[in-house]
Amino acid sequence: MKYRFVVDPILCTGCRTCELACAFSHARNLKQGRSRIYPLLHAKDRYVPVTCLQCDDPACVKSCFYNALRRNEETGAVELDLDRCVKCMACVAACPFGCALFDEVHNEVVKCDLCKGDPACAHFCPSKALRYTRIVSK
Amino acid sequence: MITIYINGKAVRAKENEMVLACIRREGTNIPTLCHHEAIEPCGSCRLCMVEITKKEWEGWKKLVTSCLYPVEPELMVSTHTPQIMELRETLLDLYLARSPRAELIQKMAEEYGLVQTSYEPIPDGDNCIMCYSCTRICAELGCHAISAVERGHEKVIAPPLNQPAVDCIGCLSCAHICPTHFIEWTDDETGRSIWGRKFELLSCQKCGKKIITRDFADYQMRKRSLPAGYFDTCDDCKRMELAKTMGKLVVAVQEVTK
Repeated sequence: MKYRFVVDPILCTGCRTCELACAFSHARNLKQGRSRIYPLLHAKDRYVPVTCLQCDDPACVKSCFYNALRRNEETGAVELDLDRCVKCMACVAACPFGCALFDEVHNEVVKCDLCKGDPACAHFCPSKALRYTRIVSK
Repeated sequence: MITIYINGKAVRAKENEMVLACIRREGTNIPTLCHHEAIEPCGSCRLCMVEITKKEWEGWKKLVTSCLYPVEPELMVSTHTPQIMELRETLLDLYLARSPRAELIQKMAEEYGLVQTSYEPIPDGDNCIMCYSCTRICAELGCHAISAVERGHEKVIAPPLNQPAVDCIGCLSCAHICPTHFIEWTDDETGRSIWGRKFELLSCQKCGKKIITRDFADYQMRKRSLPAGYFDTCDDCKRMELAKTMGKLVVAVQEVTK
């Protein structure tokens, strides 16, 4: 794990560019995918971009009985293998942060996989509230 | 790593890997019905049959189900020989006779030039093709709630003794994995019905959105030691909760650094 996905809510303006970037970068068959990131309004003019926290001990991985969720050691993201997923919704129900989602358009479970190490949302964030930065070891 | 040849093209394969996985990775499309990555292969649909041979076999060939055949060094695999195509066509013809109304079977048969079965279709033929995907996924889950009952023509997938499934937890894995969508289930205000049983659906304590069945949540708590609090609210409310908590932290940090 050389990189870390940084969310800086102080800088977030709630423009929802990340949501668009995510939905379009996960588009298939000319249909947008469900966004894996949501800037949510929690107080007046204050937004927090909510996305998968890639927990150290993830409840989604524990809840999956078919080993469809596994950590990618390179990017540090917990990735969902759609070939192994049977849509039992265990991870959607178990995630304590509600960041495993069900995409009704593509009829599949989705979660943030940090775009396999190149997150589109971080590229497009105009205020740099989302960053993908190299971890500097001290 | 070992090398096998798929239609003459050299492909690198991991040891203990099945031939089907190599064929799919190489990009060749062969039809399957009973194959799913989440369960162990059982080779019941027979559609993934391929022809294999080796140099030292001196021209002898073998027809095998690729989902069950582990790779061997210098194995030569042919996926679309006339013999294989005829075999698949016959299989699809028979599937079409058994399940005339299954859309997936119709689509697959059409690709092999079959619109109508040449056999006499079963008049009340259902969409169950006896691939055992449902029973295998249930076993994978650890429930073993359903299995094949009776023999021969009467064979059906059902709970033990055709009584409401006692071991079922209502996760719908069987219904979702079924290639022909034969397994029926309903979700409504009162709960979820499947395999002759009615399950209570957990509702989000904040917005009332239905989450999963209580039995499935209990199963996860028991088997994977997840805390009960994880299943109280729906994903939308949990995200909002996370935003609020993070928001409070941001405000606290801003006040400290002011």
